[in-house]
Amino acid sequence: MIHEDPASRDRERGAESDVKRPWTARSLGSKFQHQIFYTVIRLLGRYGAYLLLVFTVAWYVLFRPSVRQRSSFYLRRRFPRHNAPQRLLDCYKLCLSLGKVLVDRAVVGILGPKKLGCTLSDKEELHALLAEGRGLILVTAHVGSWQLGMASLYELETPVSLLLHRDQGDVDRHFNEHGDQAPPYRIIDPLGYLGGTLEMLQVLKAGQVLCIMGDRVMGGEGSTLTVDFLGGPVAMPFSPYKLASATTAPIAIIFPHTTGSNSYSLKVGGVLRVPPDLGRSPAAYLPYAQQYVQALEAFVRDYPYQFFNFFDMWTDPTSKPDSA
Amino acid sequence: MDTKARLKQLLAEHMNLPDLCREDFNDDTPLFGGNLGLDSLDAVELVVVIKKYFGVEILDLEESKTAFGSINALAAFIDFRLPA
Repeated sequence: MIHEDPASRDRERGAESDVKRPWTARSLGSKFQHQIFYTVIRLLGRYGAYLLLVFTVAWYVLFRPSVRQRSSFYLRRRFPRHNAPQRLLDCYKLCLSLGKVLVDRAVVGILGPKKLGCTLSDKEELHALLAEGRGLILVTAHVGSWQLGMASLYELETPVSLLLHRDQGDVDRHFNEHGDQAPPYRIIDPLGYLGGTLEMLQVLKAGQVLCIMGDRVMGGEGSTLTVDFLGGPVAMPFSPYKLASATTAPIAIIFPHTTGSNSYSLKVGGVLRVPPDLGRSPAAYLPYAQQYVQALEAFVRDYPYQFFNFFDMWTDPTSKPDSA
Repeated sequence: MDTKARLKQLLAEHMNLPDLCREDFNDDTPLFGGNLGLDSLDAVELVVVIKKYFGVEILDLEESKTAFGSINALAAFIDFRLPA
């Protein structure tokens, strides 16, 4: 249930688009392996699946060098002074943390949402931003459990749209796909027509909630800015800030994360106000991308094992890997 | 100034597309995916400029596929949507 990323598997299996990305959302596990976990959840519950996960993750970490390599890009930056045994333990903790999130996601889908508590902190603040009537852009990241966190947005009582790309053939199910539940959010494909930008404008124009991952370039939106993250330059999309400038919608930075053995929280990490009419120049959006990255750095300082980008974000950001 | 000429002037100015004002520019050139170098995020800018200066909103996906076909298509779309 660990997510594999770099482009090697895309090349092997044939990516569904000609867009080059340094990551993929495709799961590392096979369909059969996923089914084993789903069955264990049904038979033994969440903690039974955790027990299986402990050994599964250990196997992957010890015997799949690619798992250690993909984890190391972030962990080297986050824990620069750790030695080899500590890094191995870091890798195990990070992968186990991701595995638990994926198990929890399946638990909610299979056993129902009451099995886990998800708290929407700062709900009043989000309500106040929505009440401005210009829509609301939530910029989040691949941290914690974004899906369960997003599901808690039903408390806002406003339709939520999510910019999300799923790799073709991914066997990992979203929690609503375990039954006949409709997704709690509308999905906008960034590889769709004009990168989904018109659909995103529609959402904001209707005063609704638009959620964008601020830490990865999706593909259709090729424009990136280079900002420093954990001591090195990375390419980050500036589309959220450009949309905010075009629509005057406020931005709330949110990071859904695990707060305990049985709970998740979705907390506002900051609010950005992007002035209107900033135009086409990427440099105009740099201050906002920097504020987002600062909030993300603060998050990974507090929750080092809840950051799930298993690819080298720091490789030559000026090459803009998906700008093709 | 007719809609097309004004549109070209506005886009040249606001979207840094000086080629639009060249006499030999082909007004049937695709706005996206062609030689103009516009990407998906520029669609946001384009929508904003057209709304601001012509009062015409382009948010419908099907309409936009037609309207964003070329300068000629966009000018025709604006003319069609402008109040009489």
